[in-house]
This record gives sequence, C-alpha cells and structure tokens, in this order.
Amino acid sequence: MTPAFDPPLPGTILAGGVLAAAASLWLLLPNGPDRAGSRRLGTLLGLLALGAFVVTGRRLGGLGEEAVFLIVSLVAVVAAAATIVSRSPVYAAIWFALSLVGVAGVLLVLGAQFLGVATIVVYAGAILVMFLFVLMLAQPAGLAPYDRVSNEPFLSALAGAVLLGVLSLSIGRLSASPPACCGLPSRARAGADAAGTGQPPPAAAVADPLAENHVARLGGELFGRHLIAVEAAGVLLLVALIGAIAVVGRGEAAQASADADPGRPLR
Amino acid sequence: MNAMQSLPMLQNALTVGALLFSLGLVGILTRRNLIVMFLAAEMMLQGISVSLVAWSRHHGDWGGHVLVIFVLTVAACEAAVALVFVLQAFSRTGRLDAAAWQSLREATVGRTVDRELPAIDAVPPRFPTLTRAGVLPPPDENEPLQREHV
Amino acid sequence: MQDLSPATLLVLVPLLPLLGAILTVLLGRALGPRAHLPAMAGIAAAAAVAIALLAATARDVSPSHGPRSEPIRPVEMIATLWNWASFDSAYAPPPGSPAADLRLTPHDPAAGRDVRSFSIPVSLRLDPLTATMLTIITCVGLLVAIYSTGYMHGDPGYPRFFALVAMFVFSMSMLVAASNFLLVYVFWEAVGACSYLLIGFWFTKPEAARAAKKAFLVNRVGDFGLAIAVFLLWMSYGTLDFHDTISPQGVIMPGILGQTRLADASGYAGGVVGTAICLLLLLAACGKSAQLPLHVWLPDAMEGPTPASALIHAATMVTAGIYLIARSAPLFAVCPGALTVVSIVGATTALVAALIGTVQNDLKRVLAYSTISQLGYMFASLGTGTLLGFTAAIFHLLTHACFKALLFLGAGSVMHSMGGVIDMRKFGGLRRVMPITAATFLVGAAALAGVAPFAGFFSKDEILAALHAKGWPSAHEPHHAAAVEPHSAIVRLASFAADSRAVAPVGLDALDRPEVWRLLFWMSLVTAGLTAFYTFRAVFMTFTGPTRVPPGAHGHGGHGHESYESPPSMTLPLVILAIASAVVGWLLFSTNWLAHFLSATPSLTAPLVASTAAPHAFHIDLAIQGTLAAALGIVVAAIGHLGRRSDGPQMERFLGPLQTLFANKFYFDQIYAALVVRPLEALSLVAALVDRHLIDGAVDAVAGIPVALGEVVRRGQSGLLQRYALAGVMGVLTIVVLLAWQLRG
Repeated sequence: MTPAFDPPLPGTILAGGVLAAAASLWLLLPNGPDRAGSRRLGTLLGLLALGAFVVTGRRLGGLGEEAVFLIVSLVAVVAAAATIVSRSPVYAAIWFALSLVGVAGVLLVLGAQFLGVATIVVYAGAILVMFLFVLMLAQPAGLAPYDRVSNEPFLSALAGAVLLGVLSLSIGRLSASPPACCGLPSRARAGADAAGTGQPPPAAAVADPLAENHVARLGGELFGRHLIAVEAAGVLLLVALIGAIAVVGRGEAAQASADADPGRPLR
Repeated sequence: MNAMQSLPMLQNALTVGALLFSLGLVGILTRRNLIVMFLAAEMMLQGISVSLVAWSRHHGDWGGHVLVIFVLTVAACEAAVALVFVLQAFSRTGRLDAAAWQSLREATVGRTVDRELPAIDAVPPRFPTLTRAGVLPPPDENEPLQREHV
Repeated sequence: MQDLSPATLLVLVPLLPLLGAILTVLLGRALGPRAHLPAMAGIAAAAAVAIALLAATARDVSPSHGPRSEPIRPVEMIATLWNWASFDSAYAPPPGSPAADLRLTPHDPAAGRDVRSFSIPVSLRLDPLTATMLTIITCVGLLVAIYSTGYMHGDPGYPRFFALVAMFVFSMSMLVAASNFLLVYVFWEAVGACSYLLIGFWFTKPEAARAAKKAFLVNRVGDFGLAIAVFLLWMSYGTLDFHDTISPQGVIMPGILGQTRLADASGYAGGVVGTAICLLLLLAACGKSAQLPLHVWLPDAMEGPTPASALIHAATMVTAGIYLIARSAPLFAVCPGALTVVSIVGATTALVAALIGTVQNDLKRVLAYSTISQLGYMFASLGTGTLLGFTAAIFHLLTHACFKALLFLGAGSVMHSMGGVIDMRKFGGLRRVMPITAATFLVGAAALAGVAPFAGFFSKDEILAALHAKGWPSAHEPHHAAAVEPHSAIVRLASFAADSRAVAPVGLDALDRPEVWRLLFWMSLVTAGLTAFYTFRAVFMTFTGPTRVPPGAHGHGGHGHESYESPPSMTLPLVILAIASAVVGWLLFSTNWLAHFLSATPSLTAPLVASTAAPHAFHIDLAIQGTLAAALGIVVAAIGHLGRRSDGPQMERFLGPLQTLFANKFYFDQIYAALVVRPLEALSLVAALVDRHLIDGAVDAVAGIPVALGEVVRRGQSGLLQRYALAGVMGVLTIVVLLAWQLRG
C-alpha cells in the first residue's frame, strides 16, 4: 500500500514537532496572569506539533485501522496535555479521565482487551474518584495562587522535549529484526523465521495475545507462571490498605487531642 | 503472523506512549498542586502501560500484559498511601502546595515565596437561578463552608 | 684496671656521665630525692678513670733531665670509635689555587693528583693537655654534684639539674678529648646548649630566661667564627683531624696537629689565611670564655643556680676557649700578629672586668667579673706564644678552677642560708654564724688575690713572667741561650721566614713589639691589684663587721646559738676545694711537674713553641711586684670596708663619674642593644608581618576557594522538591542522550 504522501525529511519534521510541542507547553503552562495571546499561540503550536507527529507516523494496514488508532491516540494525547495545563485541578482530573478513555482505546486497538477495560475500571473508576475526594477536602475555593504558577516551566519543557526527541529517535530506528548484538531469544524472531517457512511455531499459538480467549489465557498465564507475583501483589494491596488506615488513624488522634484548635477554615 | 507486520503499529504505539510519558514528566516537574502532580505521575504510568502492551504485542507473548497488570496494582496502592500523606501534609500547612515544604534547604538560603499575582480575573460564572417556590428552607449552618464554584 | 686498655678508659670518661644523664632522665622522677645517684655515680666513676688516665699519661712522659738535651717526645694515644662521615675523592682543588699547595694538601698517588677525601672519624685523643682538662672537669664536676645535693634539695627540678650536669660533663669531656675540629665544633655547641639549659634552669623567671637566651645568642657569634675557621682549616689543610690518619689508598694524611706536620716547620699556613683562621678561633674563644667584646653574657648567667655557675661559668665551660687556643698553638705560632691580638684582648678584658667588678654589690656578680678578668689573664698568657706562656695559662686554669669554684660554692652557701639574698649590702658579719663558709671563702679569696703561698700566687706569677719575658726579652736571653739546643729550631725559623710564599707578613705582625708587651705587663699588674681589692672588698662586706642577717634567712638551730651554716653536703666540697687551693699551686710549681707534663702535648712540641722553652725559675722580682700590688689592693679594701666602716658612698664619692661608667658595665649592653638587638627586632617584626599576612594570607586564600565555591553551589539547595526533581531529570537525560549517541547506528 503506497503511503498517501512521503514526507521528504521525516527526521526534520519530527524534530520540529518536538520543539513545537515544547514551546506550546511552555506557553500553555500556568505562569502568572492569564494572557490570551499566549494561550492561543500555545494552542496553535500544540496543534502543529500534533500534526507533525501524525504526519510522521507509520502507515498501518487499512484506512479504518488508521482512523481508529488516530482518533483514540489523539484523544489520549490532547486530554493528557489539557490535564497538565489546566489551572483548576478539578478540570485537570476530568481531562485525565478523558485521557484514560483514550488510553483504554489505544490498548483495545492493540488487542489488550482486559487491560483496556481494567484501566477504565481501576483508574478512572477508583483512583480518579479518590483524587476528586481529596480535592473536595483540601482544595480552596477559587484558584489557589499555587495553581496559577509553575515551577521552572522553560527548563521542564526543555527536559520534556529532549526526552521526547530521544525517544522518537530511538523509536524511528526500530527494525524488524533485533540487532545481532543482543542475542535475545525472541518469539518475534522465531515467528519471523517461522513466517519464512510458512509454519507457525507451536508455542506461539498459546502465547499470542491476539488469539482468541484472550482473558482466559491471560488468567492462565498469570496464575500459572506468575502465581507468586500475583499473591505478592495481593499482599501489597493489603499492606497498603492497612498502612493507609493506620496513618490516617494517627492523624485523627492527633487532631482530636488538639480539639481546641477550631481547624483551618477553607478559603 | 500478523505480529510481524505490526512494526508500524509498534512504532505508532510507542510514540503515543512516549508522548504520554513526556507530558507526564513535564507535569510533575511543573505543577505545584500535589494532586495534579499525582495525576501527571499516573499519566506517566499510562504511557508506560501503552508501551509495554505494544511490545508485548510485537513479541507475541504475555510479558508486557502481566507487567501492566502489576503496574496497575502498584499504582492503586501508591495512590492510596500517597493521598493519605497528601492529606497529612495538607493538615500541616493548610494547602496542597508542593512548595510549602522548604525546610530542607541550606541555612543561608532564604524561603522562596511566590511573586505577587494580580487578583484572579476569572469571573465566577453566574448560573441561572429560579425564584424559589414554596417555603424557604431553614438556613444551613454549613452554608459558609460551601463553595460556590470549583 | 691494668687490663683495661687506655683507649677503653678514654672512652669511658665521657661515656659514664652520659649514661648517668640518660638514667637520670629515665628514672629521675621515680627516684625522687635520690635522683642524684645515677649522675653522681657516673661523674664519680669518670673522675676515677680520669685520674687513672692522668697517672698513665704521666708515666709515658719522659722524665726531665735538667737543661734539655733532646727535644721532648710528644705523648698521644688515639682511640677511634667509628666513622661518622666519609666521602672519598670529595674535592680536587684547582691547580694553581692556594689550596693546591702540596705542603698543605695531601697528594693521592693513586689518583695522580691532589684529591681530598672528606672523612670525620669519631676519635678521641689522650695527651697531657687532655688528661689535665679531663681531671679538672670530672673532679670539679663531682664536687659540684655533691654540693648540689644540698643546694638543690627540695627544688622541683632536682632530677633535671643532675641530668644537665651529667650531660655537661659528658659534652665537655668529649670537647677536650675530641681529635677532630668538627667534633670540637659539635661539642662546643653542646656545652653551649647545656649552659643555656642550666642558666635558664628556673625558666619561669623572666630574667633567667632572658639571660639564657642572651648567653646562647652571644655564644652563637663565637660559634660562627669557629664554623668559618673550620671551613678555612679544611680548605687549607685538607683534613680536620688532629692526628695523622691513613687514607684508604694507604697514604699518610697528616693531621692538623699530628706529629707528621708538627715535625715539619713549614707545615702550617701563615700569612692572611693563617691569621684569619687564628683570629676566627680567637673569636670563638672570646664567645665561649667571655672576653671582650663577647663578655656580656657571663654576668647575666648568674641567674642560674650557683652550683651550675661554679661548674660551667667558673671552672670548666669558660675554659673551653683557653683549651682551643692552647690546642691550636702550632697554628698560632706562625702568626705572631694574631698572638699579640690574643694577648691584647686578654689583658684589656682583664682590666675592664676588674674595673667593673669593683663597684658591684651582688656577690655573684663580683665573682662573675672576676672570672672574666682571670680568663683575660689566661688569654694574655696564651698570647705570648712561648711554652712558658702556654703552660702558665693552663696552670692558672687549673688553680682558677679550684679557687673560683670554691668562691662560687661559698657564695652559694651564703645565698642558700640568707634565703636567696645575695646583695652584700643586705647582710654582714657572717663569719660568726657561718664559720666554715667564711674560712674557706677567705682561703679562696687569698688564692684569687695572689697571696703567697696560695695557688693563685704561683700561677699569676708565671703569667707575669711570660709577659715580662716578651716585654723585656734581653733580660731573659741568658736563660734562653743555655736552653737552645743545636737542633734546627732557629735555623728552621730563619728558613720559614725566608719562605715568602707561606709567610706573607701581615699588618698585624707589626703589633708584636716589646713596647706593646710592656704595656700589657703593666696592665696585668694593675689588674692584679684591682683583683685583690674587689675580692677582699667582697670578703669584708660579707663576713666582717656587725652581724646582720636579712629577714627570710633560714637558720639551723642548735649548738646553743643560731647557726646559718650550710649542711655538710655543701661544706664538704668547700673544704676539699680550700685544701686544693692552698696546696696545689705550691705543689705543682715547686716540682715543675705540670709544666714538664704539659710540654709533652703534641701541640706544644711544635718547634716554634718548644724552642722557647726556658728552665724553670722563680722570678723573685716579679713575685715581689705581684705581692705588692695585691697587698695594696687588700689594704685599700680594708680601709674602705673592713668592719663595715663604709657601705659604699665613700667609694662612690671617690670614683665620681667613673662610678657610673663602671656600674653600667662600660655601656656594652646598651651599645649592643642599639646596634644589634633593635635592628634585629625590627627585621623580625617585618618577617612576622610578611609571614602572617602574605604567606598565611596566601594559604588562607587558597583555603577560601572551596568555601567560595561552596557558597555558590549552596544556593542551589532551595528545599523545593520540584527543583531537585528537575535537576535529577536533567542528569538522567544527559546520560540517556549520551547512551543514545553511543548506540546510534
């Protein structure tokens, strides 16, 4: 399938995109009084950056596949960006929820059915709600002064740009066969060898996440090879639960002993 | 195996994961509100999850999936415990500011205070009101504690 | 003791006090009141050995047979311990330079040219002069040690004192026994250090500390002269040994005072270099023996304990200068100008010190100036350059050791009983309450004044005879004519003088004229009178007149009346020394044993010295002149002070303005302070400022760099969590970028 158009210098576009993303973040991050001009410019630059990434993205199998992936990934990324530039933390939480939906979509496109749903359930359903509870308890009315300023926006944006650039560069250099140096046994390579011979390797059928009975086989994998880890994770959850209750309990006891203090009024 | 043809898919997914991770990193480094910092941390974990699942799909095994499950678990524990500590911190300083804690600085360095910002220019939205029908409800003693907007 | 070789015995003499000193240092505190035992045992054993050595050496000296028929044979015995430093082929003098003089530089046939090796063997030499000095040192040291057990009783530094005394006896013994100029220098310094430690024994007293410092620094000036002299000696003679040694190549290296060189009349450097060496040695001797102009330290040294003063500032250390010049007699003999300078210095010092001593009120100060004066006598005698002069000086050294030590110990006895008071105006008439001290002090005073038949009379008579012989040479010719044997002494003299290379006449030689010597003789005679005067003035002021005792004096009750006499540990040495002062002079003079014994010293067998030997005679005319002078002095003192008829104002009126001059010690101290001390203090102030601000400032600046850097880095620690996280992230990103760069392609 021939690509729609072949960008002449993908590296340059990508670099431009990264820089544009960094600039847009710098402009969009809360930094003192709101300046509408900077917000607009930032948004424009952000869109340009996104465009650059879209353009340099790899072509997938079919148009439908491409469209779906594009939509869900855009939702995830744009919502993520909105999370960190929102001044109100509650808005940020809501944007985060939307980002989670996007990420769940990406996971589903990648074939991780269980994980996609688990993300929604655990993250959006539990963790995010906890965050919102805390915000309810602790967030002052109106915009707190510390929500309107950022800590070193320029340097942080620069750091993010560097990281993104390095990662994009590394991703661009990925090739089908792993480099000879590493010598890792890879089912992918085994699959490639097998594809050459036209016969599927026997173990691959069991291990392929894209095959049917995804959740059942995931469960079989978890409780088969990784049983100890699963149990340990369970213990970890228990410990976290107890620990949280213990810390809160001590805090409440201290609070009760200082009951002469009427407590801080919420502004 | 269409796993082999998914190299472009791998690369795209990894790009998405990289974007999410970088955005989360910038968020942690920049935002002062503790809750928003944690949201950004969770976003980094999301980026990691996407990358792991993409690799797992590329290699055709379960390794990435399993790791993501554990990431999920640990993130939940971490969020629980961390939020408890955020509340403790809030009860000490009265605000959710990461810059409220500066005691571990050098003795010769002064406390960093924010520059004065002009008063907030966002006007709280005026929501439409209806005239009340019926009897006025008894006054709520908690009313001063309730906020008008978030 | 017969089976012990003389070499071993010679080594034992310094070794035993050294062991005593070490044991006292280690065990002193543990021994408590018996801390004097190791040191005293060491010194006593050394004294016994020294006397044995004296007897052994005396046996070796050939007996005298009337008028000399053959030159006396030198007696020496070398004991080499080990080689301290040795460098073969150390220095080859450039051909044509004075140092390449074959007579002065040993020729190494193996190398085919004049090459010197530098070697310093630690060797000791026993000859009559050394044996005499060793006996004096150890015996006086022993008596002083016995005395100190009483005098220093109860002092918190009791063990330290004895350790120092033993250390001193070791150093002085090594000095007189060393057979190498460098070793002499080492122990010259060592006795100076012991003197410093003993003067400053009570170092918490500021005057004592200052006096110790002054003594050491003034001695340093003399030591500088000695060092330069040692350098010149090595340049001129190629070796520093006294005795002849054999080089590794099998060649005999003539020592500076060795028998090979002594036999060769032209073996000594004259002219400018020789005179320079002699004058530098004189400078060193002036420093150590407190002669003009380096005499200023000795009166201040009286701050030290009296036994130390008796030992080192009367009997032994100050005689090191006399010993050095006597030892270097052959070197001086070819420089008549230098010899005259020695005599001039000696006689002038004697007169000046005697004048200052007449107005002193502190008994110890009187004795200090008396010591300077008597040492001046010895120098005057040494400077005559004749065998009589040298032996008379040593004779006077011996008798002076006896009676001066006696006088100092007696003064110490007085000071001890009077509770530390030594100002003669504060006490009087002590003969009634301190009879033994008074009697022995009187004997010592008589010996010092030169009253016949006490020791000082004979030795002073010999000195006057030596000076008279130089001043009136014709009067003594008949004596010389009979003594001159037809050996080539005079012939050698003539040939030596004709050798223009070795003996370039130096301007100083013009001083060697009979007129100068006559002046020196008269000065010495006047000094003799003054000596008697101030000595008996002190005796009368202290011991005659109404008995007055200052408050604070501690007496020992008993015998029905108050007695302030000192304990027997202190009076016993006084008595022994009194007997010695009374008897030794007459004994040695009448038998002429000492002069004959000393003439066998290798240094004094040098032809230029030995040729001046005169038969032993008692010069009655000089004796009468000396006695008259002494009697005059005693009478004047009696008029002024017997029975405390006057306390001093009479004498002050008599002397008038001279009183101030004498009392201020001829302003030597003030002149030195202005010329030397103040400029040095200014220089040291500048040095201190440079050190404190420039050098320390530089170091502090360097030390301040990390602090400044730290201040800069410090500001990064703001306590803000996100800034720390940003820093960490940037660090991680640096590593990631580097890794990606490495792994590209």
